[in-house]
Amino acid sequence: MNLSFFDQFASPSLMGIPLIIIATMFPTLLLIPQDNRWINNRLSTIQSWLLHMITKQLMIPLNKKGHKWSLILMSLMTLLLTINLLGLLPYTFTPTTQLSMNMALAFPLWMATLLTGLRNQPSISLGHLLPEGTPTPLIPALILIETTSLLIRPLALGVRLTANLTAGHLLIQLISTATVALLPIMPTVSILTSLILLLLTILEIAVAMIQAYVFVLLLSLYLQENI
Amino acid sequence: ILHSRPLHTTHQRSAPLPPLPEKGGEVRHGLIPEEFFQFLYPKTGVTGPYMLGTGLLLYLLSKEIYVINHETVAAACILSIIIYGIKKYGADVAAFADKLNEEKIAKMAAVKNEAIKDLETAIEEEKKEQWRVEGRRFLFDAKRNNIAMLLEANYRERLLMVYNEVKKRLDYQVAMQNLKRQKEQDHMIQWVEKNVIQSITPQQQKESIAKCILDLKALSKSAQAAV
Repeated sequence: MNLSFFDQFASPSLMGIPLIIIATMFPTLLLIPQDNRWINNRLSTIQSWLLHMITKQLMIPLNKKGHKWSLILMSLMTLLLTINLLGLLPYTFTPTTQLSMNMALAFPLWMATLLTGLRNQPSISLGHLLPEGTPTPLIPALILIETTSLLIRPLALGVRLTANLTAGHLLIQLISTATVALLPIMPTVSILTSLILLLLTILEIAVAMIQAYVFVLLLSLYLQENI
Repeated sequence: ILHSRPLHTTHQRSAPLPPLPEKGGEVRHGLIPEEFFQFLYPKTGVTGPYMLGTGLLLYLLSKEIYVINHETVAAACILSIIIYGIKKYGADVAAFADKLNEEKIAKMAAVKNEAIKDLETAIEEEKKEQWRVEGRRFLFDAKRNNIAMLLEANYRERLLMVYNEVKKRLDYQVAMQNLKRQKEQDHMIQWVEKNVIQSITPQQQKESIAKCILDLKALSKSAQAAV
């Protein structure tokens, strides 16, 4: 069948049954649930050590009330990490390439931080709209600019993740197509292209992990301002 | 919450937790369990599973059930990166996980050893106290002797005081009597002298003085003769 380059982003379905839910939930099932043992096997130990390290890193700047968010932020992080990394395997569908899913993740969480801030400490939240030490004539313009930047945050969060992953996947497809097409014609150029593909794959692994981390980090920053 | 045993297929119990096996299952080429090779060994020998794998692969390729396209190249890249990563860093990660567990155990062992040492020191101290108790009677004897000596000294002291007091009283009486006699004697002597002097008339005085002068002259004559 003739695949276009965008068929990899089509929502998966098997004989008419949509598989999107399985595709989104399956990656996290690969992680081992926490057993209440004192000493675990190697994989469990490393998994829990990693999770503790990341949780500490992300949650230390927050105050005590913000620590209530640690569960959702860490599970979000785990979800994004596994989804992104598994998407690098061939013939897999990456749910985070869909703008709908990323907006569905970003918008409610951002809105939650905003509403928490406006409800509990409205003047401080609104005060973030004006950076310190601005000259008086600039204040109206700056307020407008900061409000715009505030309102564009969920859009930025969602689109950032979508764009990064989609672009990466597309590039992998394109360069591997180029490699395969050049193989009978100019094998040496094909090998060069495959080297580029190798480097790109390494970049994509890094991007997958970084994007997940950045998503959660930004949410925690927005939370810090508002809680 | 234990997710690892969702279906009640055995009489498994939650507590005490069954122990974890020391090593993970044996795998060949990182993917295929050793049990599979053992399973095929009686019928097809050592090369059996490999023949099966090759045949399966060739079947899939020749019948174009697995199509070679650009995804194959991408798959080759990502798989080679994964395999390289595992081969290079696998042992280090395992050692790290082992180290984490070792540290946990070592901390607990350190606490246990501290407690054991403290208890042993306490036992030594107790034994010393028991030994000291045996020598207690010497202490009591010495104290008893001490007290007896004090009492004796006190008694003698008071005895001496009594003696001194009685002697003082008696001395007083003796002194009183002596004084009385002395006074009487003196008084009588004075009275006698007074009366004698009163009785000496002037005539008697002149006669005695002349007699004394005659005696002196007679004595002076005899004294001159001696010289």
